[in-house]
Amino acid sequence: MQNKNIQFSFLVIMMLASLLACKKEEYIIPDPVSQLTNDCIKRTIGPSIVSLPLEFAYAMAIPKSSGKLVSAQVEASIAGATGTYLEHRSFFTNASGVDVPVLVGSPSVTVDKTTKMTYSIDTNAATLRYYYVIPEGARGQSVSFTFSVTSSDGKTASYKMGPYTVSKMSIKRNLAVSNGVNAFISIEDMAVYNAAAAAPIPGKIDLVYLFRASPTTFAHALVSPGADAAYLPGVVLPSGMNRSTKLRKVFNLQDRNLANLQFGIYVDDIDLKNVDMVDMPNYAIGLRAEAGVWVETADKKYRAYIFVNSITPTGTAVISMLRYTL
Amino acid sequence: MAKYFKIALSILMISAIIISCKKDSPVDEDGLLITFRQECFVSNFELLGADFVSVRSKTAVIDTVAQTIDVEVLFGTDLKNVYPQFTLATDCKLDPKITGKTDLSNLANPKVYTVVSGNRKIRKAYKLNIKYQ
Repeated sequence: MQNKNIQFSFLVIMMLASLLACKKEEYIIPDPVSQLTNDCIKRTIGPSIVSLPLEFAYAMAIPKSSGKLVSAQVEASIAGATGTYLEHRSFFTNASGVDVPVLVGSPSVTVDKTTKMTYSIDTNAATLRYYYVIPEGARGQSVSFTFSVTSSDGKTASYKMGPYTVSKMSIKRNLAVSNGVNAFISIEDMAVYNAAAAAPIPGKIDLVYLFRASPTTFAHALVSPGADAAYLPGVVLPSGMNRSTKLRKVFNLQDRNLANLQFGIYVDDIDLKNVDMVDMPNYAIGLRAEAGVWVETADKKYRAYIFVNSITPTGTAVISMLRYTL
Repeated sequence: MAKYFKIALSILMISAIIISCKKDSPVDEDGLLITFRQECFVSNFELLGADFVSVRSKTAVIDTVAQTIDVEVLFGTDLKNVYPQFTLATDCKLDPKITGKTDLSNLANPKVYTVVSGNRKIRKAYKLNIKYQ
């Protein structure tokens, strides 16, 4: 009898547990904003590269009855480079998807790590953009941000973002190269030289830009000074210029930063670190627009990704590069 | 009587297990199905460079009688880092397998790839002759 009672109780408990487990949680309508509130998103995607900006959208609001917004500020853990600012215009997105600015304050002032913007109009809600230009000192480090807003009732709200790891890569965009003129490329300097400028620094020249209409498969080429003469037809190299740089052609890798904000692909530190350069040749011929080349310097000090932005049939091209120090 | 019934049932069960575990179709050492097919040839050949773009200057010539593949590659092709692609007759496989980038730079000693038929009984060795444009 006792056994039966235990079994019955157990059954009842099990049924109750099942019922409870299946109970739906009621949706609770959130309270309307009753105090100074803020929120933030990072708009920049892809790697954080020195000299490029990180963009944030910082939203803040206070009930009209409580007062108005007085100022907004951002404190970075590492002071931003020149060009860092907090927008003094608030943006909203219209029905066409276009961000429309509304002037809300005076231009921001940056002192050391802090950028501050003071409101000049009576408003109780705004979304401000913050552009942090990554300084050289942040390379390979982490950077974080504290966004804060002050209202006329003396209250302050803040929002922390990060930390974000800053890439070890360097970027150089839109370098014009031309056959026989500005043809000598230095990965170390991330620069293009003509023969006269390259002659005193032969040890720094990693690549020579060439254009040959014939054979047709040659066309635009990046050839290391140490390559076989067959790949340097008619080229007279300055004395001592003989570095043998490894190159690996790649297609359909249009890095967004190098391709001037087209496409949605990013080359990151890990790509340059892990790319297999074993047994790669020291020349890359037949390059086309939007093609790319992985590069490893002869001293194995640098790896780079060179993207061909554009080419012309007259033997000129525009290239951009990302460089990673090994 | 019950004893005989149990023995009979046990035998039946064991037989059922053995039958159920028996493989229906034979597979080779690579886990590929061995079929009845005897066809054994290369139907198409492609050669890709390190950027996975074709480095052929013209269509490869496949001689299934002489068992040769003649390919002409573009000037400047780096044959140390290429990706050969074979299209084979149904159920065939290739030996050696192509697992990644391949070094075909030794033009004096052309590489030989063997096609193995679906029934795994016929093997045909194709010599891969490469020359520059």
